[in-house]
Amino acid sequence: MALKPKSGGSKPSIKRSTKPAGSSSAPKAKKKGPPRPPPTQHKPKPTLANTKKKPPHLRYTEKELRLPQLNGIRPAGVQKLPNKKKGKHFVDDGDGMRTILALVMAEKEGNIESKMMRARQLEEIREAKRVEAEKRVEGKRASLEEKKSEVKRQKRGGSGRAEAETAQTSSAMPLKKRKKVSFG
Amino acid sequence: MRPLTDTETKTLFDKLANYTGRSLTALLTTTAPSANPKSTAADHYVFRIQKDRVYYVRSSLANLATSVARDSLLSLGTCVGKFTKTGKFRLHVTALDVIAPHARYKVWVKKNGEMPFLYGGHIVKAHVGRWSEDVPEHTGVVVCSMDDTPLGFGVTARSTAEARRLDPTGIVTFRQADVGEYLREEDTLFTT
Repeated sequence: MALKPKSGGSKPSIKRSTKPAGSSSAPKAKKKGPPRPPPTQHKPKPTLANTKKKPPHLRYTEKELRLPQLNGIRPAGVQKLPNKKKGKHFVDDGDGMRTILALVMAEKEGNIESKMMRARQLEEIREAKRVEAEKRVEGKRASLEEKKSEVKRQKRGGSGRAEAETAQTSSAMPLKKRKKVSFG
Repeated sequence: MRPLTDTETKTLFDKLANYTGRSLTALLTTTAPSANPKSTAADHYVFRIQKDRVYYVRSSLANLATSVARDSLLSLGTCVGKFTKTGKFRLHVTALDVIAPHARYKVWVKKNGEMPFLYGGHIVKAHVGRWSEDVPEHTGVVVCSMDDTPLGFGVTARSTAEARRLDPTGIVTFRQADVGEYLREEDTLFTT
């Protein structure tokens, strides 16, 4: 930055020096002769300017300044470091890809495993419920059968003769009431 | 065209891992013979994103593609899918070739179930020839014909155990993509 104005400044001086030579005005050239050396003196200036403009953090390290240590704790809201790279962070190397893949696969395996476990548990519960329901139905049927047989036994033991009579009448009655049906 | 960022990579692998097993790592290690006859080094594959679509490309091809202007570059390699505006990833049927060899679970459909599936229908129990054992519900599966030709992919509606008790017209797998899309979506499949 400091160089530009100097180069610009040096150019006119050269032009002035050349123009008078073209116009052949000898006295003027003689008068401006002494100021010519300064261009040679101008040259070291940029180096001086550079030394002046060197920022303090380049001149001293923080340790040399012996400053008291600042609070380095980052507040919860600030997640990004101030000197962190801006923009997108690409994953182009194989290793980076592989680590991400390994993480994803581990997560997926865990998910599938938990899903399977859950499905197995639900299946077990369902099976237990089914067995219980079957048992209940079986018990009901057994009690019904028992009741039936009990009723039968009661009937046989209580009125044996009456039963025989009814059997006789039932066998006689159908013979009397028998009807014949003829087609055509 | 650029490489994927770490979040994009994670989203992509998350989706791919729905359908594939541990062998997904093979995608990164697979090599092809080098395009340059002079070099003996094998060519590996990379993922590249162009606009919102992700491509699985040979690295040498990806390098060559850098000389094509972004607006002019329509497609390269195998399109895996695209990122939605909300940052989710949609797998396209073109990813079937990438997924199918590494599939974790498979469903084989009978001959009479192929056409209904290829016309965009879900898979009903009556059309299933056989399926992988112990498949949990809502998991990605690759759909194959009985002669093991991949036809598409989908998501299981029921676990294998539950599906056994299902009636024949009950849906077993929800369709996600099928090869019939190459004809049905011909106009829009490769447009960006």
